[in-house]
Amino acid sequence: MKSKINIFLMEYAINSLLRRGGKNIFILLIFTLLVFLLSSALFISESIKLELNSVVKQLPQITLQRFQAGRQVDVPTSRVDKLILIEGIQSVVPRVWGYYYFKVAGVNFSVVGVDAFEEQYTKQLQDIIDKTDISVFKQDNSMLVGSGVRRVLDENYYKDFFNFVTHDGKWKRLNIAGVFNSDVSLEANDMILISKKSAYEIFGMDKTMATDIVVKVSNPTEIPMIVSKINELYPDMRTITQDDIRVSYQNIFDYKSGFFLALFVVCAFTFFIIIYDKASGLSSEEKKEIGILKAVGWRMDDIIKEKFYESFILSFCAFLLGLVLALFFVYGLQAPLLRDVFIGYSQLKPPFNLPFNVDFAHMILLFLLSVPVYIASTIIPSWKASTLDADEVMR
Amino acid sequence: MIKLEKVTKVFAQGQNEVVALKDISLHVRGGEFVVLKGASGSGKSTILSLIAGLSKPTCGEILVDGKSISKLFDNFSAMFRRENIGFIFQKYNLIPTLSVKENIIVPLIPSNPDPKEIQIRACEVMEKFSIASKADMLVKNLSGGEQQRVAIARALINNPRIIIADEPTANLDSKLSLELIEILKKLKAENRTILVATHDPLFFELDCVDCVIEVKNGEILK
Amino acid sequence: MTLTPEIIALLMLDALFLFFSFIAFVISVRIYLKWDSSSFSPLQYGLEKQSYLVGVVIKYIFFLKLPLFLFYVYTCDKLSNIITGAMCASGVVNSVDFGLYLMVFKILNLYLFGFWLLLHQVDLKDEKQSFTKLKFLLFAIFFIFLLSEIILEVSFFASLNISKIVSCCGTLFSATSSSYISLLFKIDSAVLVGLFYGCFVLMVVAYFLKNSPIFIVSNGLFLFFSIASLIIFFSTYVYELPTHNCPFCLLQKEYYGVGYVMYISLFMGTFYGFCGGVLQRVSQIVMPHYALISIVSNTFYVAIVSLYPIVYRLHNGVWL
Ligand SMILES: Nc1ncnc2c1ncn2[C@@H]1O[C@H](COP(=O)(O)OP(=O)(O)OP(=O)(O)O)[C@@H](O)[C@H]1O
Ligand SMILES: [Mg+2]
Repeated sequence: MKSKINIFLMEYAINSLLRRGGKNIFILLIFTLLVFLLSSALFISESIKLELNSVVKQLPQITLQRFQAGRQVDVPTSRVDKLILIEGIQSVVPRVWGYYYFKVAGVNFSVVGVDAFEEQYTKQLQDIIDKTDISVFKQDNSMLVGSGVRRVLDENYYKDFFNFVTHDGKWKRLNIAGVFNSDVSLEANDMILISKKSAYEIFGMDKTMATDIVVKVSNPTEIPMIVSKINELYPDMRTITQDDIRVSYQNIFDYKSGFFLALFVVCAFTFFIIIYDKASGLSSEEKKEIGILKAVGWRMDDIIKEKFYESFILSFCAFLLGLVLALFFVYGLQAPLLRDVFIGYSQLKPPFNLPFNVDFAHMILLFLLSVPVYIASTIIPSWKASTLDADEVMR
Repeated sequence: MIKLEKVTKVFAQGQNEVVALKDISLHVRGGEFVVLKGASGSGKSTILSLIAGLSKPTCGEILVDGKSISKLFDNFSAMFRRENIGFIFQKYNLIPTLSVKENIIVPLIPSNPDPKEIQIRACEVMEKFSIASKADMLVKNLSGGEQQRVAIARALINNPRIIIADEPTANLDSKLSLELIEILKKLKAENRTILVATHDPLFFELDCVDCVIEVKNGEILK
Repeated sequence: MTLTPEIIALLMLDALFLFFSFIAFVISVRIYLKWDSSSFSPLQYGLEKQSYLVGVVIKYIFFLKLPLFLFYVYTCDKLSNIITGAMCASGVVNSVDFGLYLMVFKILNLYLFGFWLLLHQVDLKDEKQSFTKLKFLLFAIFFIFLLSEIILEVSFFASLNISKIVSCCGTLFSATSSSYISLLFKIDSAVLVGLFYGCFVLMVVAYFLKNSPIFIVSNGLFLFFSIASLIIFFSTYVYELPTHNCPFCLLQKEYYGVGYVMYISLFMGTFYGFCGGVLQRVSQIVMPHYALISIVSNTFYVAIVSLYPIVYRLHNGVWL
């Protein structure tokens, strides 16, 4: 393995693999399948992680929710004026938003009330607002919808307006004034932007209340300190920071891919045992071949090396094959079936594209998870083969 | 040149032991053509594999050119075979899915020589045994005689001084057997030492054979 | 415990190593106790065959451990994204008390296994295999080191805690650090750098005088002073910040991964210098190419680290 690569030995190894074609194709297929599943799982979870991380970056730095008897309740907007006095806080925005269940299609929209004259609490929202005519929100009968919402409405023949059913059962008709596409599709897809006034009306909320409050700070390193001040001021409010969400997302997906991987490791070891079993029972033909090789002057090391080439070539081919298939499956076909395992079967989120997020380190990781396991499973069988008594060949 | 001194070989088969060779001594001079004859199971193959260093004696000493090969480690005994011994087997023992040329160069592979040298040597032996025209054919498509010649070419590619043949004519018809004997004669003329184990009476009356040794029940009859 | 895919990969390979090295360990002990190269017994033949298995297993472990070491560092680097407070691998490595020991064990084991393979090569070339007993005794000992490494690694990953806040390299590699690293900062950096170049000169002189004991010792010292001076002095020029002394940040993309080049050349140079030298003394066989590889890699290392301050000086006209 150390000195320069022996091309003739490589050739011999390839030939030897082909000679036992049936058995090796079986191994190749199984191993390709394992690598494929593993890589797909990793690619999907990395993609979602990337997607969620960019969502998290868009989230407010601190979100404040009010809890009463363990349940989330609306926050009085009067608290905004007290909060803004805390040192280090740059802005405080009360939000009015919620989910609207559209029975006919069986989906939930997130309905967000915006005030076009306020500073928006995320850059993404700000972008959407900046791109549209502010007058949309001045008239109380317009809304902006995400492309996913647009599609659902289209399917239900709402071409340019939509009738919301308000809390007291009345109809509230809003015209579709525009559609926005967002690069962060996961969140924006199911969003509807309406004026705050309409939002209060639809949700039937008290005008002096807000769903929650978001806080922007001037120096992110001061966040923990500010959080403790807020907690002191309003003990009934729960603070959620960007970092909290990021870590919990990361955890969920590490957990999910970890679970998947653990499953994979079990499969891999089962495979390991099957290979071990297959490889250690040598046919008399193979025994004879080893006898010939020894008789013509091959050392045990040469035989082991030849077997190593064999298993390396086989597993590396399977690795490449599995990898390419997985890349195609995940980014070409958008991973049908498998992505549901990771995203969940939730109907909340309309479809979104998995962004490409693969780097060299992932390849190395996948390589380390697969090829060494296969090679390990052939160590003892190849050694055993190399120790066979050569006089088999004399009989 | 080849010397066996009080060599005993015992095979352990589970509980009972099989004594394949009992305290035999043998001396073969360089360039001699020696035939080992004897009934099946008498120990001929065992003697050959000991001389080739393929197996180790239970006790006793085997010297080739004054050097003891009975206690060589695998590395060195393989090296010794590669440099000194050419094997011709009973059933050709070629690798069926390789071409003629690929079969012939198998003994050269471990030393990783440069491709040009392999080419030269392979051509040389293929010419010698007139199989050069079939160089790229798969051996399984060759006739018996041609396969035999490929096997001999493979045995000779390292230009060994000692040729060991274990029942080389067992699978050949009489015409091919005679052809083989012609080749062995040629090899003897090149001053190689030849050891043949066989039941075939064809070998016993040849004038090129220097010595016929009879083996019986693991012992040498004088 | 957090199971990121990287950690699972490392743990899985650890399990494989443990399995195979344990087999190798059992064989090694048997060979050490029963080896008798003059015997013709079946036992001896069996042992001879098994000795090849040990060789294969160790080759397997070693050649995987080389890239795995880099992968481990990379994993720690990646974990630093999740763990609060950690800016690079050093924060993660030091998030548990024995993190640094684990690192030391990892490097040490690479040297030990590499040395074993060199010895194995020499032994196989020797017709009498006179080093066999020594070789297997050594492996039986090295196994303990490997075992410690694996145990440390498993408990390292087990005790990693995402929600715990760790320190970043800025506080770990500074005079205020509570660990013994801070001792380094008590030494004048000029003295350390002087010692570093001193060792290098000594090594070059020993190389030309063909004095192997001095060559070995100077290589050992060189390794130590290289790392010390890298932390105290040279790293600051890579970062162009007088207070940034981290040996791990070098590996990050911002610095073009120059750390990988530095560490590979340093480890390779000192490995061949130290282990190759010891091997020569043990086997009494002269192996001039080892010393050559050593001196070339070490010179390369010295050239890279020296270049940073020199370029900085030429550029800015002052020292940091
Ligand atoms: N690997 C082995 N294990 C056990 N017994 C063996 C082994 N090899 C040979 N023997 C025994 O040793 C004896 C000699 O065998 P050997 O093959 O040398 O005979 P032979 O003279 O070559 O016979 P044949 O003419 O049939 O080839 C036989 O009794 C055989 O059963
Ligand atoms: Mg026989």
